[in-house]
Amino acid sequence: MNSVNFNINFGYLEGLCRGFKGGILKQTDYINLVQCEILEDLKLHLQSTDYGSFLANEPSPLSVSVIDDKLKEKLVIEFQHMRIHSVEPLSTFLDFITYGYMIDNIILLITGTLHQRDIRELIPKCHPLGSFEQMEAIHIANTPAELYNAVLVDTPLAPYFMDCISEQDLDEMNIEIIRNTLYKAYLEDFYKFCSTIGGSTTEVMCEALAFEADRRAFIITINSFGTELTKDDRAKLYPRCGKLHPDGLAKLAQADEYEQVKVVADYYGEYKPLFDGAGTGPGEKTLEDRFFEKEVKIMMSAFMQQFHFGVFYAYLKLKEQECRNIIWISECVAQKHKAKIDSYIPIF
Amino acid sequence: MGSLFRSEKVTLCQLFLQSEAAYNCVSELGEIGLVQFRDLNPDVNAFQRKFVNEVRRCDEMERKLRFLEKEIKKDEIPMLDTGDNPEAPQPREMIDLEATFEKLENEMKEVNANAEALKRNFLELTELKHILRKTQVFFEEEERNVVADAQLALHADEAPVLASQPLQLGFVAGVILRERIPAFERMLWRACRGNVFLRRAEIEIPLEDPVTGDQVNKSVFIIFFQGEQLKQRVKKICEGFRATLYPCPETQAERREMAIGVMTRIEDLNTVLSQTQDHRHRVLVAAAKNIKVWFNKVRKIKAIYHTLNMFNLDVTQKCLISECWCPVDDLDRIQAALRRGTERSGSSVPSILNRMTTKQEPPTYNKTNKLTGAFQGLIDAYGVATYREVNPAPFAIITFPFLFAIMFGDTGHGIIMFLFGLWMVVKEKSLGASKSDNEIWNTFFGGRYLIMMMGLFSIYTGLIYNDIFSKSMNIFGSSWNADIAYPGDMGNNVEKLMLAKTYRLNPNSTNWSKEPYPFGMDPAWQFATNKLMYVNSFKMKMSVTIGVMQMMFGVILSLFNHVHFGNYLNIYAEFIPQIIFLAFIFLYLVVIIIAKWIYFDPITMNTNCAPALLIGFINMFMFNYPNKDASPTPPCSSLTWYDGQQVIQTLLVVCALICAPWMLLVKPIILRQRSRQVKTAISVNSGDIRNQISENVEVVHHDETVLIVDEEVEKFEFGDIFIHQVIHTIEYCLGCISNTASYLRLWALSLAHAELSEVLWNMVFRIGLGIDGWLGAIMVPVVFAPWACLTIAILLLMEGLSAFLHTLRLHWVEFDNKFYSGSGYLFTPFSFDDIMDVPSGLGDD
Repeated sequence: MNSVNFNINFGYLEGLCRGFKGGILKQTDYINLVQCEILEDLKLHLQSTDYGSFLANEPSPLSVSVIDDKLKEKLVIEFQHMRIHSVEPLSTFLDFITYGYMIDNIILLITGTLHQRDIRELIPKCHPLGSFEQMEAIHIANTPAELYNAVLVDTPLAPYFMDCISEQDLDEMNIEIIRNTLYKAYLEDFYKFCSTIGGSTTEVMCEALAFEADRRAFIITINSFGTELTKDDRAKLYPRCGKLHPDGLAKLAQADEYEQVKVVADYYGEYKPLFDGAGTGPGEKTLEDRFFEKEVKIMMSAFMQQFHFGVFYAYLKLKEQECRNIIWISECVAQKHKAKIDSYIPIF
Repeated sequence: MGSLFRSEKVTLCQLFLQSEAAYNCVSELGEIGLVQFRDLNPDVNAFQRKFVNEVRRCDEMERKLRFLEKEIKKDEIPMLDTGDNPEAPQPREMIDLEATFEKLENEMKEVNANAEALKRNFLELTELKHILRKTQVFFEEEERNVVADAQLALHADEAPVLASQPLQLGFVAGVILRERIPAFERMLWRACRGNVFLRRAEIEIPLEDPVTGDQVNKSVFIIFFQGEQLKQRVKKICEGFRATLYPCPETQAERREMAIGVMTRIEDLNTVLSQTQDHRHRVLVAAAKNIKVWFNKVRKIKAIYHTLNMFNLDVTQKCLISECWCPVDDLDRIQAALRRGTERSGSSVPSILNRMTTKQEPPTYNKTNKLTGAFQGLIDAYGVATYREVNPAPFAIITFPFLFAIMFGDTGHGIIMFLFGLWMVVKEKSLGASKSDNEIWNTFFGGRYLIMMMGLFSIYTGLIYNDIFSKSMNIFGSSWNADIAYPGDMGNNVEKLMLAKTYRLNPNSTNWSKEPYPFGMDPAWQFATNKLMYVNSFKMKMSVTIGVMQMMFGVILSLFNHVHFGNYLNIYAEFIPQIIFLAFIFLYLVVIIIAKWIYFDPITMNTNCAPALLIGFINMFMFNYPNKDASPTPPCSSLTWYDGQQVIQTLLVVCALICAPWMLLVKPIILRQRSRQVKTAISVNSGDIRNQISENVEVVHHDETVLIVDEEVEKFEFGDIFIHQVIHTIEYCLGCISNTASYLRLWALSLAHAELSEVLWNMVFRIGLGIDGWLGAIMVPVVFAPWACLTIAILLLMEGLSAFLHTLRLHWVEFDNKFYSGSGYLFTPFSFDDIMDVPSGLGDD
């Protein structure tokens, strides 16, 4: 794929995507949003933005979950529109993006059934981008092997599942391992796919995915402290397409506490500042938020180049961040808990 | 000239409204739609304004109305649009409206919930009915086969001994969406390791989904399996695929009994369901009568509160202050509306309207009617006129259709276009009432007067060109004689000419009767071999003449602008050199064109020596005048042809050339001198001026005061002005040449149109006319159809559109750039009419 012919097939969608990106809320919008007293105020302000009348047909009183659903619905409609109008290889690329949501949905459903929740109660909680036909029958599976044979074998996730087929019963620990193994395989595959596309797509997407992989590696390590997960098992969960691979991952595999993770991060210019000053104390931002901020920056820079697919991925990620921000603000508004309302992550 | 020549005088006013009267006053102002309010709290968030709660209540009411409308549309009940325009209800009536809507919505929701429950019930029963019917078939027809097959299939790999004794097989029956079947089957096979047996049958009639009301296709299935564990598993899968399972009795008698029970229940349910539907229908029909009026009312209330949100609150909280733009001529009507509003609210204190002075540019407001609106739309599409500058729209009313017609000159096509426009104009009311969503139709309809005028002018130019569907009419009798030598003396001249097949018309020959044809072109040209040469020369010269006239007119209009804005510097630094430049070069060209037409007539002069204008014109700039006695002897057409030509032409060129530096230098230099004088003046008494300013603008809003001071102190940048002037000069001088050339498109398109319609006639219609006898009688109507279609599609639509666009360009670029700056902004009054109707596309062809 080269820049000369790019517009023949993908120009319309790229333009569309950039147009959608223009509708992302600005800093001034956030300044207005945090001044809201009730959710109706929020609705009124969002009406003057690109969201338009997306809440107009909702009876008051509004609830945060309704806002969340509607935000998601709008994003999904936009994404599906682009997916439907796309041709190869963009369509595969966009499908790849949805696999991540599929993994999340599977894990959500398994965890739910493990806790004896009714499947019908869980389905609405799944992300609509990651829904697939066999999803609702997932609760027949008791072991990973069954899960694979009965449900996942027809889905695009099947090849990623190879590494975690076992006859063990599903439990919390197992599910987490499955999630991370799936994610690892997915990221590596996506990375490989993006490398084959070539051009700016490779350039932009590989950076984004490398960041995603490294973030997962850090988070897995930090979350594993104090659990039964062995260091060997943990090492198997690290996605191997990031900048940490291979030296950083090897060191992370040996880490026993947070400080050691920080030492590893110190070797990397990109990640050092994220760990510096991150914390849970007042006035400090959590490491998670730091990573989100970094992600937003990477995604914004994806729009600096033209003729590549990265914009679609970046748009989705930015929009997701925006949804998180709006939900955070509306939660704060709804619960009249305004002390932390400013800890959203501005995009522009 | 009337108001259209310049936009209306608009003034900034301050409005003091009593709090209790404000609502009614704004409502009255909305009805007359003559006031443009300014937002006085631009920094305040939408949700922090004073009347946000009322706006929110309106939103809520609108939501309920939309819900009702959706339901009404679902039932396809016609909504009554009486077209009457209710006054905005009083604020206290809002509560009544809210209550009504609330009641209706709740009733509707209840009915819907009931209907949905009933429908679900109905769906279940219907599905059960189908299951019983289909499974009956499974069991009856293949009693042995099915069960045996199932046993065989399930136990093929087990010991034959086991298979020989019949096993008790369990089964479940249910209904599933048809498109889910393949995945369902695969999943069943995988999850149960092939130990189940599935039969399915399609339900032929689509069923209605109770929630969405869509028609969905479903299939009945029956699954055989063995053992309790497998049953659980199968059930889970069914649940996962949203299949509904129904109890199905095992024996035939029980099934039949159940089927009868189901049928009676379905019938009962049908009666209840139809009653519910009737009730729903009644409620909706009642709502449909009023819904448009309700919508209008709610929108009006909302618009009023939106406007009130733009107002400032007085310190005492007793009155609202607003600023607005009002047309000066309509101040009385606005006052009257305010009085009405105050009376209606029963307030004793009158509302006050104060005129204010401001340095801000007022909006441009042109009062238009149906006819002028279309033309104003064309002009505004290019750029809205600066406040009070000369508006090209009134001239466009004539020049636009005229220039169009020059390119579209054909009486036949003109008549069709005129009749189409006339039809739309006459049927205006009924066509306008049936609001169409068709964008193309709406554009045509919006430009109906334009189309009618263009048709009318095309008829006229068609008569001049003597073109009607590419044929000529011989009304007055041609002034050309056929060759005398031609044998036989019959009929009139044209018939004789036609018999001659081809000939060349030469005014010097004796064939010409020396009497010009009274109106338009002589029909004899139709058959002449030198027709094109003659027509081209005529149209080309005509294009240049008309073009130069229009440009001259544009430059003269710029004089009106300069005088009106008191810009006297521009008159002698720009207008005078511009008009000299244009007149001395291009008007002179027009003059010699006309002189040539008049002076060199074949009776008195030798037309061979008529001057070649192009060469003469080039020579004029080269100061090159061929000597009569030089050898070789120059052709007599390149010689001077009137006394003093050389002197006059030299003078014209020199004068025109002087104009270029005149335009370039005079204005920047004078401006520079002036600014130097002002600077010294300011430095002497800058303090006084500041005081003076603040006195003058006492009433004015605070931020404007700052603005005025800023403007006064604005720095004079000589470089900027000089560069601007350089650009302006180059643009004008080169523009005059290129614009004149640009007007040649009049000739080019007119030629293309005439040729195309002639080709169409010769290639299509003449085939039919050329056949003799009864075959010809059949062929004429046969070829008429394609000829008529092509005439409409290509000549009228395509050519019409292209001529329209070229005319538009000639107006926007060639004409407007001589005087029109178009840097204003539109006056957008607060008017209920705009809120009620979605504005119909106005303007283009």
